[in-house]
Amino acid sequence: MRFPSRLLAANMWFAVMLWAGYLVLVTVITLAVELFGELNQSAWEQATQLPRWYAFFTGVTLVRQFLPLYIAHGQTRREFGAQAAVTVALFAPFLSALITISYLLETALYGLLDRPQVISQAHLFTEPTQVPLVFAEYLLEFLVWIIGGSFIGAGFYRWGAGGLLTIPVGILLAVLAETATGGELRLPLLRVIDLNLSPSAAMTAGVGIGAFVLGLALTWPLIRDVPLRNKA
Amino acid sequence: MFDERSPIYRQIADRIKAEVLSEELKGDQQVMSTNQYAAFFRINPATAAKAFQHLVDEGVLYKKRGIGMFVSPDARDTLRAKAREGFFSDVVDPMVAEAKAIGIPLGDVIGRIKELEAR
Amino acid sequence: MRVDAHDLVLRYGDVTALDRMSFSLEPGKIYGLLGRNGSGKTSLLSVLAAFRKHSEGTVRVDGAPVFENRDVTRRVSLIRDTGETVDISSAEDALEFAKWLRPDWDAALAASLMDTFAINPKKEVSGMSKGQRSALGVIVGLAGRAPLTMFDESYLGMDAPARHAFYDALLADYMAHPRTIILSTHLIEEVSSLFEEVLIIDRGRLLVQEEAETLLSRGTSVTGPILQVDAFTEGMTVLGARELGPTKSAMVYGHLDDVRRKRAVESGLDLGPIAMQDLFVHLTGGPR
Repeated sequence: MRFPSRLLAANMWFAVMLWAGYLVLVTVITLAVELFGELNQSAWEQATQLPRWYAFFTGVTLVRQFLPLYIAHGQTRREFGAQAAVTVALFAPFLSALITISYLLETALYGLLDRPQVISQAHLFTEPTQVPLVFAEYLLEFLVWIIGGSFIGAGFYRWGAGGLLTIPVGILLAVLAETATGGELRLPLLRVIDLNLSPSAAMTAGVGIGAFVLGLALTWPLIRDVPLRNKA
Repeated sequence: MFDERSPIYRQIADRIKAEVLSEELKGDQQVMSTNQYAAFFRINPATAAKAFQHLVDEGVLYKKRGIGMFVSPDARDTLRAKAREGFFSDVVDPMVAEAKAIGIPLGDVIGRIKELEAR
Repeated sequence: MRVDAHDLVLRYGDVTALDRMSFSLEPGKIYGLLGRNGSGKTSLLSVLAAFRKHSEGTVRVDGAPVFENRDVTRRVSLIRDTGETVDISSAEDALEFAKWLRPDWDAALAASLMDTFAINPKKEVSGMSKGQRSALGVIVGLAGRAPLTMFDESYLGMDAPARHAFYDALLADYMAHPRTIILSTHLIEEVSSLFEEVLIIDRGRLLVQEEAETLLSRGTSVTGPILQVDAFTEGMTVLGARELGPTKSAMVYGHLDDVRRKRAVESGLDLGPIAMQDLFVHLTGGPR
């Protein structure tokens, strides 16, 4: 199999551009809070809610845009599936690394301002400087959110409005990931679900890989013989 | 007269025949390739090739393998002879019929012909 | 590439788009695929390109099944009317993707066609007009050099000068690199001279497969006084007729031998060719 360099490069380049912009935005907001209010907790902890939606839509786009592109350019669905899986498996750690770096940059900034970088919610990590734990948590989260996006994207691509049925399954995947990192899912409707399992690195890794593989296994049947839509 | 072959064939054939008659294409001169004709007339090269084959069958062109199509040395004479053969039925007879239909006395037609011959 | 379809069936739910279609295409020819709206043209091409899986029957390209067979699919290309391009990026990125995925990609041809169709490489595909998208699709299709290349109304969005530029580019590249090409179109008069063979399909079935010249020679218009035309065309397949005062013009389908031709001319009838467009209209049942 060919290494999905193009697919990965296209996504990584776009992600870095977004990240740079987002980094500036979050920093500006941080400084604004410092200036006009009281800066007493980590801004990035809040800011990381958006990137996972970006990860989700990356998953959606993978299926909606790149699956038809691959097939139209003479690749099989199987080839696409393999390339997409490799892409997700490499793109998620890449995104996670960007987030980890963001936390470290924030640590430096808060150090300069002499402010406490307090983490207010339950995480795998307690300090933003616990690099391996920070990385592991976001890796898991992005893996699951991208594959969840691919799954839901595949559902909508295949069945149109019938794709709504894939959403609960996608949410379940996300809940699974959240539970494994000890956090509560930050979807308003699902605040009630909090299994409070005590997280460990091994469990996180296990659940992460498990959820990722489960997501792949759920997505494949949707695309293995999917007809290409006629774009109107 | 009706030509059972397609308009495309006639386009190519008429053009080559006209060029042979006017001596723009001389005997043993190479004609443009089927591909050049195909591109010029925006037609399928196989169609152009078939038109050329008809011209070969008619003796207007001959093929040199691997080189291309050439005008037969006696193509012009053959075409002229054929045109002479059909001249009265294809040109004169309809003209006479037309003259009668619109009321021009045949004497006037003959007079005109003589006048042109004298020039 | 060679294409063999045998009893090919494609259903969408209750709708039968392809109804036991069988045919063979030889390598290296330009085929015209003609059919009315909903006749199954896009369905057929989608199956040949593995965009869709067929329901029954077999379809083979160079002897091998098509669906999910990478050895076949990478050598098959179908460009549909909106152009097979990626929406989220620029024209030059779309070409980069095609170059990356297509084994026979000709970057120089792509670049020269970008000039021909005046497409700015930096332009976002999502912001392109229909004509530009069509042109980009056509570029991807031609520069891909797939041994089986299909265009499904790909050039409908293009204006007349752009379409003619496409026909010229297609013909030139086909002559330089012969391959099997299938063109599906409604603009029959404009494109028919490019066809070596024609397939006419109707309601999911194959109606006619014929060499273009042979098909054209099958159709004859017979014009003259009503009585003589009627007498002459009796017992022949008459596709349609029109009358103007004492004159009638009938379109007959089938071979006319020399004896009949001579008889027609002697009885004062005019015989003439029929355009492929007219043949098509009548063979597929006239206006519906």
